[in-house]
Amino acid sequence: MSATQELEFRDAIRDAMSEEMRRDKRVMLIGEEVAEYNGAYKVSRGMLDEFGPRRVIDTPISESGFAGMAIGAAMLGLRPVVEFMSWSFSLVAADPILNNAPKMLFMSGGQFGCPIVFRGNDGAGGQLGSTHSWSVEGLFSNVPGIKIVIPSTPADAKGLMKTAIRDDDPVFFLESERMLGMKGDVPVGEDVLVKFGQALIRREGADCTLASWGRPVHFCMEAAQELAKEGISCEVIDLRTIRPLDIGCIERSVRKTSNLVIVDQSWSFGSPGSEVAAQIHQRCFDDLDNHVHRVHAEDVPAPYAYNLEQEYLPNTRKICEAVRSATYNS
Amino acid sequence: MPRLSDTMESGTIVRWNVKEGDAVKSGMVVADIETDKATMEMPVFDDGKILKLLVPAGQQVKVGTQIALILEDGESLDGAQTETHSGAQNVEPIDAQAGEILQSNGARVRVSPVARRIAEQERVDLASLQGSGPGGRIIKRDVMNALENRGATPASQTTESARASSMSSSAPQSSTPAHVTVSSSLAVPVTPTHRAGGLVVAGLQSTEVAVSSMRQIIAKRLVESKTTIPHYQVSMKFELDRLMALREQLNSELAGMGIKLSVNDFIVRGCALSMAKHPYVNASWAGEKILMHQQVNVGVAVALDEEKGGGLLVAVIRDVDRKSLRVISSETKALSEKARTRGLSMEDISDSTFTVSNLGMFGVEHFTAIINPPNSAILACGAALKQPVVRDDQLTIGYEMTVTLSLDHRVIDGAMAARWLNTLKRLLENPATLLV
Repeated sequence: MSATQELEFRDAIRDAMSEEMRRDKRVMLIGEEVAEYNGAYKVSRGMLDEFGPRRVIDTPISESGFAGMAIGAAMLGLRPVVEFMSWSFSLVAADPILNNAPKMLFMSGGQFGCPIVFRGNDGAGGQLGSTHSWSVEGLFSNVPGIKIVIPSTPADAKGLMKTAIRDDDPVFFLESERMLGMKGDVPVGEDVLVKFGQALIRREGADCTLASWGRPVHFCMEAAQELAKEGISCEVIDLRTIRPLDIGCIERSVRKTSNLVIVDQSWSFGSPGSEVAAQIHQRCFDDLDNHVHRVHAEDVPAPYAYNLEQEYLPNTRKICEAVRSATYNS
Repeated sequence: MPRLSDTMESGTIVRWNVKEGDAVKSGMVVADIETDKATMEMPVFDDGKILKLLVPAGQQVKVGTQIALILEDGESLDGAQTETHSGAQNVEPIDAQAGEILQSNGARVRVSPVARRIAEQERVDLASLQGSGPGGRIIKRDVMNALENRGATPASQTTESARASSMSSSAPQSSTPAHVTVSSSLAVPVTPTHRAGGLVVAGLQSTEVAVSSMRQIIAKRLVESKTTIPHYQVSMKFELDRLMALREQLNSELAGMGIKLSVNDFIVRGCALSMAKHPYVNASWAGEKILMHQQVNVGVAVALDEEKGGGLLVAVIRDVDRKSLRVISSETKALSEKARTRGLSMEDISDSTFTVSNLGMFGVEHFTAIINPPNSAILACGAALKQPVVRDDQLTIGYEMTVTLSLDHRVIDGAMAARWLNTLKRLLENPATLLV
């Protein structure tokens, strides 16, 4: 195991971007307040100083404009990283990011690729109200041609960001404002990458598989600890990327545990969670002891009030209840 | 396995009358089949040769299961042998393909997919398990418990302990757990004596007796009757001096013809005649309506030999109100005899509209009976006993019989029941009316 250093989530992302910018002159960062202000959430701290205003570019509040411009730059050979202050704001850039970037390679018959990374905060939890609390993976995972990365630790954030920048396809990199200050050991080294489509078993267990990604992985770990006291042994899988999806990892785990609870902070209808459930029902039908259970955000717009927001999101209590139900212990 | 009655879900081959290689002709009875209601004869519909008997005598299989192969004239043996193979699979007690495993009461067993798979691998009879999941679903735990009780660990399960890994570790870890494999060489079905969840009382030694499909159907229908029909009982004493005298007289006259009328024959006829005035006693509750039956078909409860496991059949005498005592008597005797020896046919046990149960021959004075659905009433008759009775303010000796009518209050109210009993009382106490 190589040497590690303790980093905040935001700095792990920053280090990944900076290392890749040093390594490859085509890489650039563009977005609202990424340069002079060091990023609205201080992710790009020091990057303007190091790389200058030609490679770290502040934009007006016009997501559709700068996203489209970056896509054009990617088509012509640059490798832009585009920061959305929040993924909720990416919705005004839906046409460039969903209707153009993912289809460019296909529609141009292979003439134009689109090696671009869109990144920003995703999900509720910070009392930002309904319109700023999107978990866009529910919407965007429906679109072929996009890779979607949702890390849960600083180490994965760094390793996955580096892979994202080096990838030749559009990558949507979903961070959580609630986790940017989280600290964790991050391997040192410019070429420590985390591959896409490789889930990680965070905790091994025998009775029930918990599959999640991003912030709810931590709730799953808490729930697993809680349930262990009741004698229910949970295996926690962190998918890390949902496109590509490491369904094989979940499949192998479910063959062992016979039960699956998916924890997904997007809405349940037509979500990554429902997709995983459908695939597992198909692949593991004869291995299941119960139907796949799912814990999602409630099917309402995100509430503003703190207590309601906590109940709106998947939380440890709801996960415990789902596992007890799935394992016939409720 | 043909469907020999409307409610039949499975049947047991009681006996094969043919063996492999025998020639058969259309209409020939090749087997006796025990259904939920009766043992019936099964004819074949083709001419040919019995190639294979796929289900041995004594085995119960679902309706639709292939039980034998007949090679018709001109058919090739090769093609048929392939069928033998696929047919044989159908009689496996656990058939994952069909997905239909029936409990002893005929209900579909709900099983989680993994529980079904393990049961299949380990040859656990799912029908013998009690499911602990929602709606009685048999889940993995139930099958594992059954396996544990028979002392084997399934080959495919692991017994590794959960090991937590650090949340902050960065490199992917191996997701392969250490499998502890224990192979099961004891692929034996769970025997009833090892069954989990049974009543176990320390020191009490019991043997288990397999429940016949007749016993199962008795259990199911009587529980249904007693738990869904609002029963109540009305009793009355009848003076039977004149009936006993008339019976003695008739029997001595008819002895030469081999006829012996029983008290029960008089009662059956009396009941049938009473229906004309009180048609609601000859009716059935049918949810939103009451069916008033146009025939009076009286069922007579027939007890089977205790040595053979007992059992109860209700033989049905049709149109009793239009039959003489003599006909009633001979039909009852014939059906009782048939019930005890060969078993009754569907016709023999269908369409009763009222039932009479009589324990008088055992000296029983009084008892109550459970209604035989879809009837609305059943008459329980005690013995005609010599008693000290008051007649014309004089204490004297006379024959008395106590009858108890069980009724479905949804159809028949107490006053109606009492009036019907009074009609029956008048008929039995003035028995000459039964002769016309």
